[in-house]
Amino acid sequence: MKKNLFYISCLIFFIIPVLLMVIKSVTTPWRSGIALDWTLRGWEVVFQDSRVVESMWTTLLIALAVALINLLAGIPIAKALSHRSFPLKNTLEVILLLPLFLPIMAAAMGLHITMIRMGLANTWLGVTIVHLVPTIPYTIKVLKAGYDRIPQDMLNQGRMLKAGTWHAFRTIELPMLIPSIRSSIFLAVTISAGQYVLTAIIGGGSVLTMPIIYYPFLQSADDTVMAAFSIAFVMIPAAAIMIAEAAAMLVAGRSFLKRMSVL
Amino acid sequence: MKWRQTNRLLLLLLPACAFLLLAGGSLSLAFMESVRGEGGFTWAYYSSLFGRQELIDSLLYSILITLSSTFVSLAAGWLIVRSFYQYIDGNGKWMVWIPMLFPHFVWGYFVLLLLGQSGLISTFLVQTGLLEDRTLFPVLVQDQSGVGIFITYVWKEIPFVILMLLPVYLQLPKQFKEVNAVLGGSGADWFKTVEWPWVKPVMFETSLIVSAFVFTAYEVPGLLGVSYPQMTPVLAYEWFYSAAQDERTMAFTLLMFVALIFGTMALAGFALMNKRRMLLSKSSHRY
Repeated sequence: MKKNLFYISCLIFFIIPVLLMVIKSVTTPWRSGIALDWTLRGWEVVFQDSRVVESMWTTLLIALAVALINLLAGIPIAKALSHRSFPLKNTLEVILLLPLFLPIMAAAMGLHITMIRMGLANTWLGVTIVHLVPTIPYTIKVLKAGYDRIPQDMLNQGRMLKAGTWHAFRTIELPMLIPSIRSSIFLAVTISAGQYVLTAIIGGGSVLTMPIIYYPFLQSADDTVMAAFSIAFVMIPAAAIMIAEAAAMLVAGRSFLKRMSVL
Repeated sequence: MKWRQTNRLLLLLLPACAFLLLAGGSLSLAFMESVRGEGGFTWAYYSSLFGRQELIDSLLYSILITLSSTFVSLAAGWLIVRSFYQYIDGNGKWMVWIPMLFPHFVWGYFVLLLLGQSGLISTFLVQTGLLEDRTLFPVLVQDQSGVGIFITYVWKEIPFVILMLLPVYLQLPKQFKEVNAVLGGSGADWFKTVEWPWVKPVMFETSLIVSAFVFTAYEVPGLLGVSYPQMTPVLAYEWFYSAAQDERTMAFTLLMFVALIFGTMALAGFALMNKRRMLLSKSSHRY
């Protein structure tokens, strides 16, 4: 009973809206009385527009770069916060979370002039850097929770068996961190791919990501095309996750495949 | 040995410190812009901030939308996790993740397509004869009172609240329930002594993240808002791109003012909660 209630609510609130949008993207606008007219026009318009296709690549590459930097910055600090003790540790943790509670628009506007001076404005690199501000705090949170689940004894055992830092990381920490790594990549990619304002301010309209094209597309007010474009947003996290899985499999070996849970 | 240990630690902290430099630096730069007058340093923009009626209206409008959508999504998300956490942890997880796949403005567009006057629901009602004309359908999106923005945020934040609270409920020590029962405690005792102390820090953090996000994000109100009143991020964005230097500076002033309020709330809250948080995080992976 309770179980059904949960699944039915999920169906109504999360799955049906997306399904409706998928149907909308392959039908002409619904007029009274007439049955649905199927068409691929919406998807054709989206994928024949070279700017849209280009923006998908830009969005994906920026999102992957953001996710990679997130992991490189997040893993060491998560380990330190979870398994080391040092003065001001709790304060540092709070300060690292602080960007989540502040207007990121202020960060982008503040960086704007400096980015222009450094020649980073209107470049994908500048956009990547500014996307770090809203993503890294989440990554640190998720990875710290991941490290919290690794018992200190296990790390000590590795050290006792004379494993080097890298060897211990690859064989003990990484396999146990995989669910957390997977969720932090997912979070970083979806947050980065969904940024309109940060990209608009720092990218100045020359870094074309999907959100930058999406807003002007809205003016066209063609529901079929807009629905197709909206659904296309799912392709970015999907592609990013697949690329990340492949890359991680190279680093971590087959153990990656065995841990498919998301959180 | 000691020296090497400390150095290792510094190495671990280094990338995060670079990030702090980026985040802190950008905020300081924004602050410098907000106090830069024609003749050098000035607080004038801060004092003139509240002289503008459009800002007062915008703040009240934003506060109303922020408080209502944060409260509703937190309450609903909490209720869902409390009642269903066993199922969410199983097959339910990917369903809850679905809205997370889409950016906020795309979800806003879903709301527009579903609930707009010419949206799917009004078309459906007209077709089935329940509604005579689609203009009779209430204006829920791109409306004066911000209902569309509210719906979008609640819909999009509930999954986020669920994902924040889910680990708490999964880690609630089962033994405490037995202890509570053995000692003759009631459901209320269980809530007061075990559940709420575990949930409180996460609830506080989640409510701050959600409210700060709703209060400061441009995307959804930029898409679903009306021209007056505007939510403050929309106002700040317009001021930033305005031709007048004064307005540009006002954009920085407004954002710094908002940052100050949320920053203070976050720091004060964490200072009050830190001890308990520490105890909880220390104990959490022992069970």
